[in-house]
Amino acid sequence: MANSSKISRRNFMQQSALWAAAFAGAGSVLPGQAFAAREKELNILCWEGYNSAQVLDPFRTSKGATVKAESLTNDPTMINRLRAGETNVWDLINVNNPWARKVMHPEKLIKPLDRGRFEPFFGSMMPEFKAPYKWAMDEAGAELLGMAQRFGPYSYVVNTDKISRAAAEDQGWNLWNDPANAGKYGILESDDWNVFNICLIAGFDPFKVHSDDEVAKFTETAKRVFKGAKVVGDIATMNQSLIAGEIDFHMTGGTYSASPARADGHPEIRGITPKSGPMAGGKGGVAWIEITSTVNNPELSPLAADFLEYVQAPDIAHTVAFAEGTFNPVAQMGNPDCFKLFTAEQLDAIQWDSLAEEMGRCAEYDIVPDYDKLLDIMSAAKREASAG
Amino acid sequence: MRLSQGGKSAIPVVLFLIVGFAAPLLAVIWFSFMPPRSFSFGGAPTLENYATIFQGTNYISFLWSLSLAVTAVALLALVCYPVAYGLVRVFGKWAMLLTLLFTIPLFVSENIRLYGWVLFLIKNGVLLGTLKSMFGLQLESILFSLPAIILGMVYVYLPFMLFPMTLGISMVPNETRDAAFDLGASRWQVFKEVELPLSMPGVVIGFLLTFVLAIGAIAEAKVLGGQRVIPITHDIEIAFTYSQNWPLGAALSVLLMLVVGVLVLLALRRFDLDTFLGRR
Repeated sequence: MANSSKISRRNFMQQSALWAAAFAGAGSVLPGQAFAAREKELNILCWEGYNSAQVLDPFRTSKGATVKAESLTNDPTMINRLRAGETNVWDLINVNNPWARKVMHPEKLIKPLDRGRFEPFFGSMMPEFKAPYKWAMDEAGAELLGMAQRFGPYSYVVNTDKISRAAAEDQGWNLWNDPANAGKYGILESDDWNVFNICLIAGFDPFKVHSDDEVAKFTETAKRVFKGAKVVGDIATMNQSLIAGEIDFHMTGGTYSASPARADGHPEIRGITPKSGPMAGGKGGVAWIEITSTVNNPELSPLAADFLEYVQAPDIAHTVAFAEGTFNPVAQMGNPDCFKLFTAEQLDAIQWDSLAEEMGRCAEYDIVPDYDKLLDIMSAAKREASAG
Repeated sequence: MRLSQGGKSAIPVVLFLIVGFAAPLLAVIWFSFMPPRSFSFGGAPTLENYATIFQGTNYISFLWSLSLAVTAVALLALVCYPVAYGLVRVFGKWAMLLTLLFTIPLFVSENIRLYGWVLFLIKNGVLLGTLKSMFGLQLESILFSLPAIILGMVYVYLPFMLFPMTLGISMVPNETRDAAFDLGASRWQVFKEVELPLSMPGVVIGFLLTFVLAIGAIAEAKVLGGQRVIPITHDIEIAFTYSQNWPLGAALSVLLMLVVGVLVLLALRRFDLDTFLGRR
């Protein structure tokens, strides 16, 4: 039993990674060669898009490197994989804004970047990203923790043939409080964001510790909202249901989720940011900004920093914005050389016409201190709604 | 104690089974006793995860999974037995080959096939759109409902019921059937007294196979059901992803394994395959 306490998932993952690397190395090198050096290897843990061939292939070719990218669709899972010992597997991690400065840096899961090399890139980004950009810096404002690229408002999406943009913006989160709307809406399977939204529908700021009264209101709201949902599903299901007329609107959503439908010839599918809400400054929308950081890998690949530099180039930033999956604005659109690569159709797909206005109405994605409790309540509400 | 030659030869297989089969299962079982939301095997063992499950509403998901699996198996039996019977009686020895054709859809990902059904069933989709444009009929879609989930499960698991059933029915010797007719049995008596009992090994294997697969189903409820129903597998997925409560997910998995294991053992006690196959 003395040994059993030393066996941890951390060790297990490390050993697995080593064995996997050994097998991969053995399969790819010629007899007599040593293990593949990390100079030619890069592993990226990211949201979809960065793992696409359009983004990775030119880098692979130019560096003659083996680049592996795994895409996940929620931040907590990615961060917990680093916590569980995969810091020696990954070189880059691409997650939403608060995690680098508030969690990953304090927990030593990521390494700061060379400010001299990377800070100048912020100069050509859109004005709100000028250095020192808050979410790219540590809490003390001394270390550069990552690079910004994709971002967008993310509240809800409507079919404007059914509900006008103006009405949806004015009514805001009360769309979900109107009993007449039961059965007319969907819910995107994005449970961390749905926790934010249930708070907003219940009428309070998600990004703070909640009182017992607020938790009770959250519970009641979660039950009602899930009971009234016609469908809970992924982005494809939401867009298909909106287009087919199964639903009139859905949460969570925004440019990120509506853009594939808009690019496919459905401009009536539109991400909406409410005009007002219960957050500081009367804001009702929430926006995300991705920050890509170098992992605190003891053998960090030098290609990690090279890749971060590579995606800043105007043509590659444009490719990242329109990589497969979802289409999003990128901070590099502040550079005229990058902006001119976007066609009118592409700008329409990402709702460029209202982007600045919508971002102005958004609070930035933050960590919910009592997320675990609220998520458990919401999961139970979803389960109970399924009981009829 | 010295190992026999056979025992020594089995060592690699035994080691493989321990590492590849028993070890992951034991890891899941051990992890279910770790403190909630921990990521290490080294915590102080606790029953907290099981307490959370028994005090919470996870029973709803367990009941959904069981009901969906039982319903799917019953419908599959009703659909597949006549088809298998017809295949064997009409095509004789070619029946098994023809049954293989039913497995062709398995080469396409389950999710893609289910999304195909979404396009077929969705409002203004292939079915309702055609009925509307050709006959002016405006019907409500069954998508994102319980019937859609059951339809998806019957569709996905059909080959797993049909194949063993066809095998079971093809094991019934024609001579036995002819003898029963010669002795004056009616068509119903031949089916009830001869064909059904002799084809039971295939039927039971089909039942067990589809039940075990169906109770672990998740995609049908998600894609066709629009999560109007939350099966236990969905609860497990949420625990391992958004909740990042791996010990709770492990405890739910252990309970699911126990429920399935007990039900399968009970079924095997009731329908002893060796007896059916005439080995004792």
